[in-house]
Amino acid sequence: MPRRSTTSRRQLRLGLAFASPWLVGFVVLILGPIVASGYYSFTDFNLFQPPTFVGVDNYRTMVGDERFTKALFNTLYLTVFGVPLALSLSLGFALALNSRVRGLPLYRAIVYLPTIIPIVVSVYVWRWLLNAQYGYFNRILGLLHLPQPNWLEDPTFTKPAIILIGLWMVGGTTVIYLAALKDVPSETYEAALVDGAGPWQRFRAVTWPAISPVTLFQLIVGLITSLQLFTQPYLLAQTRLNAAAGGPDDSLLTYGMYVYQNAFVFLKMGYASALAWVLFLVTLAVTAVLMLTSRRWVHYG
Amino acid sequence: MRRESFRRATAAAMAGVLATALGACGGSDGGDDDKVEVVFSYLWAGAEAEALEEIIADFNASQDEIEVRGVSNPDFQKQLTSMSGAQGSFDISDHFGNGVGAWASKGILAPLDDFIEADGLDTDDFVPAAMSQMMYEGQTYSMPIALHAQMLMYNKKLYAEAGIDGPPETTEEWAEQIAKLTKRDADGTITQLGYANAEINTSFTTLGFMFGGAWDDQSGRPTPADPGNVAGLEFYTENIPGTYGVAEVRDFTSGFGEYASAQNPFYVDKVATIIDGEWQSVFIDQYAPNLDWGVAPLPYPAAQPELAGTTQVTTSTLFIPRNAKHPEEAWEFMKYLLSEDAMVRFTLALGNLPARISLLDDPRYDTLPQFSTWLDALRSPNAQSLASTPWSAEYTSDLGQAFDDIAQQRTSPAEGLADVADKASSYAP
Amino acid sequence: MDRKARFAGRHALVWAIALGMLFPFIVMIGTALKPPTEVFSLPPRLLPEQWEFGNFEAALSAMPFWRYLGNTLLVSGLCVVGSLVSCPLVAYSLAKLHWPGRGLMLALVLGSMMLPPQVTLVPLYLLWNKLGLVGTYFPLIVPSFFGIPFFIFMLRQFLVGIPDELLDAARLDGASEFRVYWRIVLPLARPALATVAVFQFVWTWTDFLNPLIYLSDSSQYTLSVGLYAFFSEHGVDWGPLMAASVMFTLPALIIFLLGQRYFVEGIATKGLK
Repeated sequence: MPRRSTTSRRQLRLGLAFASPWLVGFVVLILGPIVASGYYSFTDFNLFQPPTFVGVDNYRTMVGDERFTKALFNTLYLTVFGVPLALSLSLGFALALNSRVRGLPLYRAIVYLPTIIPIVVSVYVWRWLLNAQYGYFNRILGLLHLPQPNWLEDPTFTKPAIILIGLWMVGGTTVIYLAALKDVPSETYEAALVDGAGPWQRFRAVTWPAISPVTLFQLIVGLITSLQLFTQPYLLAQTRLNAAAGGPDDSLLTYGMYVYQNAFVFLKMGYASALAWVLFLVTLAVTAVLMLTSRRWVHYG
Repeated sequence: MRRESFRRATAAAMAGVLATALGACGGSDGGDDDKVEVVFSYLWAGAEAEALEEIIADFNASQDEIEVRGVSNPDFQKQLTSMSGAQGSFDISDHFGNGVGAWASKGILAPLDDFIEADGLDTDDFVPAAMSQMMYEGQTYSMPIALHAQMLMYNKKLYAEAGIDGPPETTEEWAEQIAKLTKRDADGTITQLGYANAEINTSFTTLGFMFGGAWDDQSGRPTPADPGNVAGLEFYTENIPGTYGVAEVRDFTSGFGEYASAQNPFYVDKVATIIDGEWQSVFIDQYAPNLDWGVAPLPYPAAQPELAGTTQVTTSTLFIPRNAKHPEEAWEFMKYLLSEDAMVRFTLALGNLPARISLLDDPRYDTLPQFSTWLDALRSPNAQSLASTPWSAEYTSDLGQAFDDIAQQRTSPAEGLADVADKASSYAP
Repeated sequence: MDRKARFAGRHALVWAIALGMLFPFIVMIGTALKPPTEVFSLPPRLLPEQWEFGNFEAALSAMPFWRYLGNTLLVSGLCVVGSLVSCPLVAYSLAKLHWPGRGLMLALVLGSMMLPPQVTLVPLYLLWNKLGLVGTYFPLIVPSFFGIPFFIFMLRQFLVGIPDELLDAARLDGASEFRVYWRIVLPLARPALATVAVFQFVWTWTDFLNPLIYLSDSSQYTLSVGLYAFFSEHGVDWGPLMAASVMFTLPALIIFLLGQRYFVEGIATKGLK
C-alpha cells in the first residue's frame, strides 16, 4: 500500500536523521579506527616514517615476548581477583547500608565520595598511605599485629595494592546495588520469613536472584574496565622524569600500559595495534562467554 | 520547519564560536606580531629551571626579533610524543647524548650541519668525546651544552662518627668502609646505609666502568656481559643486599625523600657514600648548606691500578626537532646558549661541567664548592661514556630492567647481563 | 536487649565502613598541613602538631593551579554541552522511533560500550595528528558531540518509559517529529538529562588518558595531567603533593555536594531492569 511504504520510508529517514550524530561518530571514531588498527597491526610503524608492511611478524613477536606474557598475566590477575572481590564488597556494603540505619543518605554519600575524586589524586594519596616507611596503612596493620608488606616495591604486593585501591572505590557499584536491593519484592521476602528461612537462605532464595541482572551488568562492566586498566597502575609505577616503567619486576605492567608504552614510548605503533586487537578479541570472547553462561544464574522479571 | 533551521543556524554559530575558542586555547602561538616565538621545552625543573629562565630572559632582552618562551617539561614520554605531531609544540629542547643516535635514525631530529657551516661555529672547541655522540651517519644532530662526570661523594660527619679518616682509594677499602658505615637495629631494620644508588642506571653503568667493564664495543655493539660489568654489579649485590637483606634494603630505600629537595637521603645522613654528578655542588649549597661533605675520585680494584681515575661522562645536549615551527630562530637561540659567556652562566647556575675545552680552566668555576675534582675528572684517560646508537633506547630499557632484577636479587649479575646480551642480539647487528 | 545489640551492631558496621572510606582523605589533609619534619616523622602521626600552610604555598607557586582549573572547567563544560546535544537525539531514535535497523543500532551502541579504548587509541591519534589537531582540545571534546554510548543507552531506557500517547497526540496535531522531541520529550527527560550532565562532567573532570596523549603544551593541561606533571617534576615531595591533591579534590567535592542527588539517584535509573 503506497501510504504504508511512504510512512515506513519516512520513519527510516527520521530514524537515521536523529541517529546521525552517533552513526557518523561510529564510523569515524570507532569502526574506521578499528579497521585501521587491524591494518597497522600488520605493519612496522614508528610514527615518524611511513609504515612498512611486515605481515604477521608482530603477532609472531607477541608469542615470544616476555613482557607481553607478563602484561597479560598481570591483567588477568587483577581481573580474576579484583572484580569478584570488588563486587562482593560492594554488595556487602549495600546490604549493610540497606538495614535501617539513621542518616543513610550521609553514609551513601560518603561511600560514593571516593569515586568522584580525580583518579590521579586517589592514586597519589594511596601511594603515600602504602609507603613502607611512613605509610599509615602499614601502621594500622602493625597495630592489628598483621604483616606489613612493602606494597609498592615488593613485586608480590603491588597488584594487591591496585586491588586495594579498587576496593576503596566500590562506591559506584554499592549505590547501584542499594537501588536494586530496594526493588527486591517485599512480598516474596516476607513469605520467606514466614516460611522460617534464615538470613542466608533468604539471601540465596530471594535477594540474590532479584539482583542478578544488576550483578551481571556490573560483572561485565567490571571485567571490561579491568581488562583495559591503565591509569592506576601507570601512576603507581610512575618514576621521576616519567621514564617508561612497569613497577618492580614489571609487576604493575598491565596490558593497557603495555599498549601505551609500545605506541608512545617505544614508538612501535604496529606492534601496539596488534596488541590492541588481541585485547579486543579477548574482551569479546570473555563478554560472550559471560553472556551465554548468564542464562543459568540470572533471573529477569 | 523554521524552528529546525533556526536551531541549525544556532548550532552552526555555536560551532563557529567553539572552533575559534578551541583554536585559541589549544597551543598558543602568541607573542608579539613582530617577534617570532621560539618555544624551548626543557627537562630541567625547580631551581635549575629558574636559573635557565634567567638566561632566557637575558637573550630576549638582548635582541628584538626572537622571543624565547621556556617551558619546564621534566617528562621523557611527553617530549617524545610532542615531536610526533605534524607541527611540533616546541622548537628546541634538551636530551642526553647517548640518545641522539636513536632519535636521529628515526628522523626525529633536524640536522644542524648547514647551520653550523653557515655561521662558522667552532666545533673544535667542544670536547671530542661529546661531539662524537652528536653524530649519526656523518651528520650532526645535536650540540652539547654541558658535560657530567660521576665521582664518589661521602658524608664527612658520618665518616668521623665511624672513625674513618678519609675516602677509599681501592674498592676493597670502600667495601670495608661501607660495612662500618651501615647501622642496623636489633631486628635487622636498617637505619643508615654505607652506600645507596643515587640513580640506579647511572650508578650501575659507572660501577661497570670502575671494574674495567665496557657497555659497548668500538663499533657501538652492546657488550653488557663483559666480565668487568659483572664484577662491578657483584660489588653492589655482595656488599649491600647480599649482606643486609634485599627486603631490608628495599624497605629502607622506599622511605627516601625526593632527590632534589632537602630530604635527599645523602643530605639527611641516611646514606654515607653515593656516586653522583657535579651538580651536587650547587644542589647541596642550596638544599643542605650545613652538610659536611667531600668528593673523591672513584675507587679502583686494588689488582687493577690502571683503572684509577675512571668516571662516566654523560652529555646534556640541545636539539631541534624536525617538526619545529621556527628552526632558524631556534638555531639563533642555540648559538647563543653555546657561546662562551652563556655557557659559563648556564653551567655555573646548574653546577654542570662546560662542553667547551677552552672553558675547562676558567677561574669562574672556583666559586662552586669542591668543583675542581669533577673538572679534573674530564681530563682522565679513563673517562668513559656510553655509545650513541640507533638502538640506544631499547638497550637502555633492557639494561634498566636487568639492573632492577639484579638489585632485587631476582637474578645474579652474570645471568641478568647475559640475558640483556641475548636480547641485544635481536636489535643490534 | 537483642534489638539494641543489633541496632548498635548495624551502626558500628556502617561507621566502620564510613571511616574506612574517609581515612585516606583525613591522611591527605593531615599531611598537607604538616611541615616537612613532621611528614617524615616515625612513628607517623595522623594529625599535625603544628598546622602550617607552607605546603599549599609551595604547591601553588610550583604550578598554575587556577589556569589548570579553568582549563578543566572549559573542557568538562564543553563535553557536557556535547553530550546533552547529541545523546538525547540518538536515544530518541532508539526509543521512540520505529525504523528498520533500530535493533542493529542498539546492539552496536551496546557493543561500543564494551570497546577498550586501547583498540582505537593509535588510529585515533594518527587521525587527529593528520588533521593537525593534536595539541588542541578538539580530540577531547569532539567525541562527546557524536554521542557517548553509555549515556545513549541510559537515556534510551528512560525515554522508553514516556507514554507514547503524549507523542502521538502531538504528531496528530501536525507537529514535526523534531518539534515533538524538542517540546515534549526533552522537558520530560530533564531529570535524566541532569544525570547525564553531572556524570559527563565528572568523567571529563577526572579523565587522565586522553589529556595525557593529546595535550602537549603545559599551559593547556587539565587538573589530572597537571598533578601528574607536578609529581614528575617534584617526585615524592609528599607535603606539597598532598597539598596539591587537596586543592584538586575541592572542586569535585563541591560539585558533588551540590549535585548529590543527581549522582546517587541518577544511578538508580541506570541499572538493568
